[in-house]
Amino acid sequence: MSVVSYDNAPFPVREALSAAHNRVWRHISEPGTWFTGENRVAIANETRNAPGCALCAKRKEALSPYQVDGAHDDLGALSPGLVETIHRIVTDPARLKQDWVEGLIDAGLGDGEYVEAVGVVCMTVSVDTFNSAAGLEPPPLPDPMAGEPTRSRPPEAKPGDAWVPWIAPEDAGAYDGEVFAAASSNVQRALSLVPDGCKAFFDMVEAQYLARHEMRDFGNEFRAITHTQIEFIAGRVSALNQCVY
Amino acid sequence: MIGGADGDGGIPHSEILGRFAEAAIGDDADVLAAARMELVGALGDAAMVDTSAIVATFTAIDRVADATGIPIDAARVAPTAGLRGQLGIDSFPSNAP
Repeated sequence: MSVVSYDNAPFPVREALSAAHNRVWRHISEPGTWFTGENRVAIANETRNAPGCALCAKRKEALSPYQVDGAHDDLGALSPGLVETIHRIVTDPARLKQDWVEGLIDAGLGDGEYVEAVGVVCMTVSVDTFNSAAGLEPPPLPDPMAGEPTRSRPPEAKPGDAWVPWIAPEDAGAYDGEVFAAASSNVQRALSLVPDGCKAFFDMVEAQYLARHEMRDFGNEFRAITHTQIEFIAGRVSALNQCVY
Repeated sequence: MIGGADGDGGIPHSEILGRFAEAAIGDDADVLAAARMELVGALGDAAMVDTSAIVATFTAIDRVADATGIPIDAARVAPTAGLRGQLGIDSFPSNAP
Protein backbone atom coordinates (compact mmCIF):
# COMPACT_ATOMS: atom_id res chain seq x y z
CA MET A 1 0.00 0.00 0.00
CA SER A 2 1.56 3.29 -1.09
CA VAL A 3 1.34 6.14 1.34
CA VAL A 4 1.33 9.85 0.72
CA SER A 5 4.21 11.43 2.58
CA TYR A 6 5.27 15.04 2.68
CA ASP A 7 8.14 14.34 5.08
CA ASN A 8 10.72 15.11 2.39
CA ALA A 9 9.06 18.30 1.14
CA PRO A 10 11.36 21.33 1.36
CA PHE A 11 8.80 23.05 3.62
CA PRO A 12 6.43 21.84 6.33
CA VAL A 13 3.07 20.48 5.24
CA ARG A 14 0.53 20.41 8.03
CA GLU A 15 -0.19 16.93 9.34
CA ALA A 16 -3.94 17.20 8.70
CA LEU A 17 -3.29 17.51 4.97
CA SER A 18 -0.96 14.56 4.86
CA ALA A 19 -3.44 12.47 6.87
CA ALA A 20 -6.35 13.49 4.64
CA HIS A 21 -4.47 12.63 1.46
CA ASN A 22 -3.59 9.26 2.90
CA ARG A 23 -7.28 8.67 3.64
CA VAL A 24 -8.10 9.63 0.03
CA TRP A 25 -5.54 7.18 -1.31
CA ARG A 26 -6.82 4.44 0.96
CA HIS A 27 -10.41 5.18 -0.07
CA ILE A 28 -9.50 4.96 -3.76
CA SER A 29 -7.63 1.70 -3.24
CA GLU A 30 -10.56 -0.03 -1.52
CA PRO A 31 -13.55 -1.70 -3.17
CA GLY A 32 -16.22 0.96 -3.54
CA THR A 33 -19.96 0.90 -4.04
CA TRP A 34 -19.96 -0.08 -7.72
CA PHE A 35 -16.28 -0.58 -8.56
CA THR A 36 -13.53 -2.84 -7.28
CA GLY A 37 -10.34 -1.35 -5.87
CA GLU A 38 -8.64 -2.31 -9.12
CA ASN A 39 -11.23 -0.36 -11.13
CA ARG A 40 -10.91 2.65 -8.85
CA VAL A 41 -7.12 2.81 -9.04
CA ALA A 42 -7.47 2.41 -12.83
CA ILE A 43 -9.85 5.41 -12.80
CA ALA A 44 -7.25 7.44 -10.87
CA ASN A 45 -4.56 6.34 -13.32
CA GLU A 46 -6.73 7.29 -16.32
CA THR A 47 -7.36 10.67 -14.63
CA ARG A 48 -3.62 11.29 -14.73
CA ASN A 49 -3.44 10.11 -18.34
CA ALA A 50 -6.27 12.32 -19.66
CA PRO A 51 -4.36 15.63 -20.02
CA GLY A 52 -2.14 14.01 -22.68
CA CYS A 53 -5.07 12.80 -24.84
CA ALA A 54 -4.99 14.17 -28.41
CA LEU A 55 -8.77 13.84 -28.87
CA CYS A 56 -9.37 15.86 -25.68
CA ALA A 57 -6.95 18.54 -26.92
CA LYS A 58 -8.82 18.78 -30.24
CA ARG A 59 -12.15 18.97 -28.47
CA LYS A 60 -10.88 21.62 -26.09
CA GLU A 61 -9.98 23.82 -29.07
CA ALA A 62 -13.28 23.20 -30.88
CA LEU A 63 -16.23 25.54 -30.67
CA SER A 64 -18.21 22.55 -29.44
CA PRO A 65 -16.56 19.41 -28.08
CA TYR A 66 -19.60 17.45 -29.22
CA GLN A 67 -18.71 17.99 -32.90
CA VAL A 68 -15.33 16.23 -32.68
CA ASP A 69 -15.35 12.45 -32.93
CA GLY A 70 -12.47 10.07 -32.39
CA ALA A 71 -10.91 7.71 -29.92
CA HIS A 72 -9.32 8.73 -26.65
CA ASP A 73 -5.67 7.97 -25.94
CA ASP A 74 -6.45 5.77 -22.96
CA LEU A 75 -4.58 3.18 -20.93
CA GLY A 76 -6.85 0.33 -22.00
CA ALA A 77 -8.05 -0.74 -18.55
CA LEU A 78 -11.56 0.76 -18.56
CA SER A 79 -14.71 0.77 -20.71
CA PRO A 80 -15.08 3.43 -23.42
CA GLY A 81 -17.91 5.10 -21.49
CA LEU A 82 -15.83 5.35 -18.37
CA VAL A 83 -12.84 6.69 -20.31
CA GLU A 84 -15.08 9.34 -21.93
CA THR A 85 -16.41 10.26 -18.47
CA ILE A 86 -12.96 10.61 -16.96
CA HIS A 87 -11.34 12.48 -19.84
CA ARG A 88 -14.13 15.05 -20.21
CA ILE A 89 -14.31 15.76 -16.48
CA VAL A 90 -10.55 16.25 -16.35
CA THR A 91 -10.02 18.25 -19.53
CA ASP A 92 -13.21 20.22 -20.27
CA PRO A 93 -15.58 20.17 -17.29
CA ALA A 94 -17.29 23.50 -17.91
CA ARG A 95 -18.86 22.26 -21.15
CA LEU A 96 -20.43 19.08 -19.83
CA LYS A 97 -24.12 18.79 -20.57
CA GLN A 98 -27.06 16.85 -19.21
CA ASP A 99 -27.53 15.09 -22.58
CA TRP A 100 -23.96 13.90 -22.42
CA VAL A 101 -24.42 12.39 -18.95
CA GLU A 102 -27.72 10.79 -19.95
CA GLY A 103 -26.09 9.40 -23.10
CA LEU A 104 -23.38 7.71 -21.06
CA ILE A 105 -25.94 6.22 -18.71
CA ASP A 106 -28.22 5.10 -21.56
CA ALA A 107 -25.19 3.43 -23.16
CA GLY A 108 -24.71 1.24 -20.11
CA LEU A 109 -22.73 3.16 -17.51
CA GLY A 110 -24.90 3.03 -14.40
CA ASP A 111 -25.75 6.28 -12.66
CA GLY A 112 -24.10 4.94 -9.50
CA GLU A 113 -20.97 4.06 -11.45
CA TYR A 114 -20.97 7.51 -13.01
CA VAL A 115 -21.25 9.27 -9.63
CA GLU A 116 -18.61 7.05 -8.05
CA ALA A 117 -16.25 7.77 -10.95
CA VAL A 118 -16.84 11.52 -10.58
CA GLY A 119 -15.75 11.25 -6.95
CA VAL A 120 -12.60 9.26 -7.68
CA VAL A 121 -11.62 11.54 -10.58
CA CYS A 122 -12.15 14.70 -8.56
CA MET A 123 -10.24 13.43 -5.50
CA THR A 124 -7.34 12.43 -7.74
CA VAL A 125 -7.39 15.81 -9.49
CA SER A 126 -7.42 17.52 -6.12
CA VAL A 127 -4.46 15.65 -4.61
CA ASP A 128 -2.49 16.08 -7.83
CA THR A 129 -3.35 19.79 -8.07
CA PHE A 130 -2.18 20.32 -4.50
CA ASN A 131 1.14 18.68 -5.25
CA SER A 132 1.78 20.47 -8.54
CA ALA A 133 0.75 23.83 -7.05
CA ALA A 134 3.13 23.35 -4.14
CA GLY A 135 5.95 22.20 -6.42
CA LEU A 136 5.92 18.58 -5.26
CA GLU A 137 5.95 15.37 -7.25
CA PRO A 138 2.55 13.62 -7.43
CA PRO A 139 2.43 10.70 -5.00
CA PRO A 140 2.43 7.21 -6.52
CA LEU A 141 -1.06 5.76 -6.77
CA PRO A 142 -2.01 3.18 -4.17
CA ASP A 143 -2.07 -0.54 -4.82
CA PRO A 144 -5.66 -1.77 -5.17
CA MET A 145 -7.15 -3.77 -2.30
CA ALA A 146 -9.05 -6.98 -2.96
CA GLY A 147 -12.77 -7.35 -2.44
CA GLU A 148 -16.13 -6.79 -4.02
CA PRO A 149 -18.10 -3.54 -4.27
CA THR A 150 -21.08 -3.21 -1.93
CA ARG A 151 -23.57 -2.41 -4.74
CA SER A 152 -25.62 -0.61 -2.11
CA ARG A 153 -27.88 2.15 -3.40
CA PRO A 154 -29.44 4.47 -0.81
CA PRO A 155 -33.22 3.98 -1.03
CA GLU A 156 -33.78 7.71 -0.51
CA ALA A 157 -31.87 8.67 -3.67
CA LYS A 158 -34.05 9.71 -6.59
CA PRO A 159 -34.05 12.05 -9.58
CA GLY A 160 -34.27 15.69 -8.57
CA ASP A 161 -32.77 19.02 -9.52
CA ALA A 162 -29.35 17.63 -10.53
CA TRP A 163 -28.46 15.53 -13.58
CA VAL A 164 -28.02 12.46 -11.41
CA PRO A 165 -30.23 11.07 -8.64
CA TRP A 166 -29.43 12.41 -5.19
CA ILE A 167 -30.76 12.41 -1.64
CA ALA A 168 -32.88 15.56 -1.60
CA PRO A 169 -33.19 17.62 1.61
CA GLU A 170 -36.72 16.33 2.25
CA ASP A 171 -35.46 12.73 2.01
CA ALA A 172 -32.31 13.17 4.12
CA GLY A 173 -33.93 12.77 7.54
CA ALA A 174 -31.97 9.61 8.28
CA TYR A 175 -28.66 11.34 7.57
CA ASP A 176 -28.41 13.93 10.35
CA GLY A 177 -24.78 14.84 10.88
CA GLU A 178 -23.70 13.64 7.45
CA VAL A 179 -22.25 16.05 4.92
CA PHE A 180 -25.38 15.60 2.77
CA ALA A 181 -27.86 16.14 5.62
CA ALA A 182 -31.03 18.16 4.97
CA ALA A 183 -29.42 21.53 5.70
CA SER A 184 -26.48 20.95 3.37
CA SER A 185 -25.73 22.81 0.15
CA ASN A 186 -26.36 21.31 -3.26
CA VAL A 187 -22.68 20.59 -3.86
CA GLN A 188 -22.54 18.67 -0.58
CA ARG A 189 -25.34 16.38 -1.78
CA ALA A 190 -24.19 16.18 -5.42
CA LEU A 191 -22.50 12.80 -4.87
CA SER A 192 -25.02 11.46 -2.33
CA LEU A 193 -26.13 8.65 -4.67
CA VAL A 194 -22.84 7.10 -3.49
CA PRO A 195 -22.73 8.08 0.19
CA ASP A 196 -19.27 6.66 0.91
CA GLY A 197 -17.77 8.57 -2.00
CA CYS A 198 -19.56 11.74 -0.96
CA LYS A 199 -18.24 11.45 2.61
CA ALA A 200 -14.69 10.74 1.44
CA PHE A 201 -14.69 13.69 -0.92
CA PHE A 202 -15.81 16.13 1.78
CA ASP A 203 -13.47 14.65 4.36
CA MET A 204 -10.69 15.74 1.98
CA VAL A 205 -12.34 19.13 1.40
CA GLU A 206 -12.54 19.87 5.12
CA ALA A 207 -8.82 19.21 5.58
CA GLN A 208 -7.80 21.25 2.56
CA TYR A 209 -10.30 24.10 2.94
CA LEU A 210 -12.10 24.47 6.26
CA ALA A 211 -14.19 22.23 8.48
CA ARG A 212 -17.89 23.02 8.48
CA HIS A 213 -17.77 24.72 11.89
CA GLU A 214 -14.76 26.79 10.80
CA MET A 215 -16.32 28.21 7.64
CA ARG A 216 -18.55 30.67 9.44
CA ASP A 217 -16.33 31.27 12.47
CA PHE A 218 -15.07 34.65 11.35
CA GLY A 219 -13.71 35.46 14.80
CA ASN A 220 -10.90 32.97 14.37
CA GLU A 221 -8.52 32.03 11.60
CA PHE A 222 -7.64 28.38 11.04
CA ARG A 223 -5.15 28.62 8.20
CA ALA A 224 -2.08 30.68 7.30
CA ILE A 225 -4.36 32.79 5.10
CA THR A 226 -7.56 34.49 6.24
CA HIS A 227 -11.19 33.62 5.54
CA THR A 228 -11.31 36.54 3.11
CA GLN A 229 -8.22 35.41 1.25
CA ILE A 230 -9.52 31.84 1.14
CA GLU A 231 -12.83 32.93 -0.38
CA PHE A 232 -11.02 35.20 -2.84
CA ILE A 233 -8.91 32.26 -4.06
CA ALA A 234 -11.98 30.01 -4.23
CA GLY A 235 -13.83 32.58 -6.32
CA ARG A 236 -10.84 33.15 -8.59
CA VAL A 237 -10.39 29.44 -9.25
CA SER A 238 -14.08 28.90 -9.96
CA ALA A 239 -14.17 31.90 -12.29
CA LEU A 240 -11.14 30.62 -14.19
CA ASN A 241 -12.78 27.22 -14.39
CA GLN A 242 -15.95 28.98 -15.64
CA CYS A 243 -18.03 27.16 -13.06
CA VAL A 244 -21.38 28.84 -12.46
CA TYR A 245 -22.06 27.01 -9.22
CA MET B 1 -15.49 36.75 -19.29
CA ILE B 2 -13.70 37.38 -16.03
CA GLY B 3 -10.55 39.39 -16.65
CA GLY B 4 -7.53 40.16 -14.53
CA ALA B 5 -8.16 42.50 -11.65
CA ASP B 6 -6.03 45.49 -10.76
CA GLY B 7 -5.05 46.17 -7.17
CA ASP B 8 -5.77 44.22 -4.03
CA GLY B 9 -9.44 45.19 -3.79
CA GLY B 10 -9.07 45.50 -0.04
CA ILE B 11 -7.85 41.92 0.35
CA PRO B 12 -4.21 41.77 1.45
CA HIS B 13 -1.94 40.23 -1.19
CA SER B 14 -4.86 39.33 -3.44
CA GLU B 15 -2.85 40.12 -6.58
CA ILE B 16 -0.18 37.63 -5.56
CA LEU B 17 -2.74 35.05 -4.47
CA GLY B 18 -4.70 35.46 -7.71
CA ARG B 19 -1.59 35.09 -9.85
CA PHE B 20 -0.65 31.93 -7.98
CA ALA B 21 -4.17 30.47 -8.29
CA GLU B 22 -4.23 31.14 -12.02
CA ALA B 23 -0.77 29.64 -12.51
CA ALA B 24 -1.64 26.60 -10.39
CA ILE B 25 -4.51 25.59 -12.66
CA GLY B 26 -2.64 26.60 -15.81
CA ASP B 27 -0.11 24.53 -17.71
CA ASP B 28 3.07 26.64 -17.63
CA ALA B 29 5.49 25.24 -15.06
CA ASP B 30 7.77 28.29 -15.24
CA VAL B 31 4.92 30.71 -14.59
CA LEU B 32 3.79 28.57 -11.68
CA ALA B 33 7.30 28.41 -10.21
CA ALA B 34 7.60 32.19 -10.39
CA ALA B 35 4.17 32.71 -8.83
CA ARG B 36 5.01 30.25 -6.07
CA MET B 37 8.26 32.05 -5.29
CA GLU B 38 6.45 35.38 -5.18
CA LEU B 39 3.81 33.97 -2.81
CA VAL B 40 6.36 32.39 -0.49
CA GLY B 41 8.33 35.64 -0.45
CA ALA B 42 5.27 37.65 0.52
CA LEU B 43 3.40 35.31 2.85
CA GLY B 44 5.66 32.36 3.66
CA ASP B 45 5.65 28.62 3.15
CA ALA B 46 2.58 27.85 5.26
CA ALA B 47 0.48 30.31 3.27
CA MET B 48 1.71 28.76 0.02
CA VAL B 49 0.73 25.31 1.28
CA ASP B 50 -2.72 26.49 2.37
CA THR B 51 -3.28 28.40 -0.87
CA SER B 52 -2.32 25.28 -2.84
CA ALA B 53 -4.86 23.32 -0.79
CA ILE B 54 -7.62 25.85 -1.55
CA VAL B 55 -6.85 25.78 -5.28
CA ALA B 56 -6.87 21.97 -5.12
CA THR B 57 -10.20 22.00 -3.33
CA PHE B 58 -12.07 24.28 -5.68
CA THR B 59 -10.70 22.85 -8.88
CA ALA B 60 -12.23 19.58 -7.65
CA ILE B 61 -15.48 21.06 -6.33
CA ASP B 62 -16.01 22.85 -9.65
CA ARG B 63 -15.70 19.52 -11.44
CA VAL B 64 -18.17 17.83 -9.09
CA ALA B 65 -20.65 20.65 -9.70
CA ASP B 66 -20.12 20.60 -13.49
CA ALA B 67 -20.33 16.81 -13.76
CA THR B 68 -23.50 16.46 -11.72
CA GLY B 69 -25.36 19.52 -13.02
CA ILE B 70 -26.38 20.80 -9.61
CA PRO B 71 -28.29 24.06 -9.57
CA ILE B 72 -27.25 27.06 -7.49
CA ASP B 73 -28.80 26.70 -4.03
CA ALA B 74 -32.24 28.30 -3.90
CA ALA B 75 -31.27 30.63 -1.06
CA ARG B 76 -28.40 32.03 -3.12
CA VAL B 77 -30.15 32.55 -6.47
CA ALA B 78 -31.74 35.94 -5.77
CA PRO B 79 -28.95 37.48 -3.65
CA THR B 80 -26.31 36.67 -6.29
CA ALA B 81 -28.37 37.48 -9.41
CA GLY B 82 -27.02 41.01 -9.85
CA LEU B 83 -23.43 39.99 -9.29
CA ARG B 84 -23.69 37.01 -11.64
CA GLY B 85 -25.07 39.24 -14.37
CA GLN B 86 -22.51 41.99 -13.78
CA LEU B 87 -19.57 39.58 -13.91
CA GLY B 88 -20.89 37.55 -16.84
CA ILE B 89 -21.08 34.40 -14.74
CA ASP B 90 -24.49 33.48 -16.17
CA SER B 91 -22.82 33.29 -19.59
CA PHE B 92 -20.32 30.64 -18.53
CA PRO B 93 -20.68 27.45 -20.61
CA SER B 94 -21.39 25.48 -17.45
CA ASN B 95 -24.68 27.40 -17.21
CA ALA B 96 -25.97 25.72 -20.37
CA PRO B 97 -28.26 22.73 -19.78
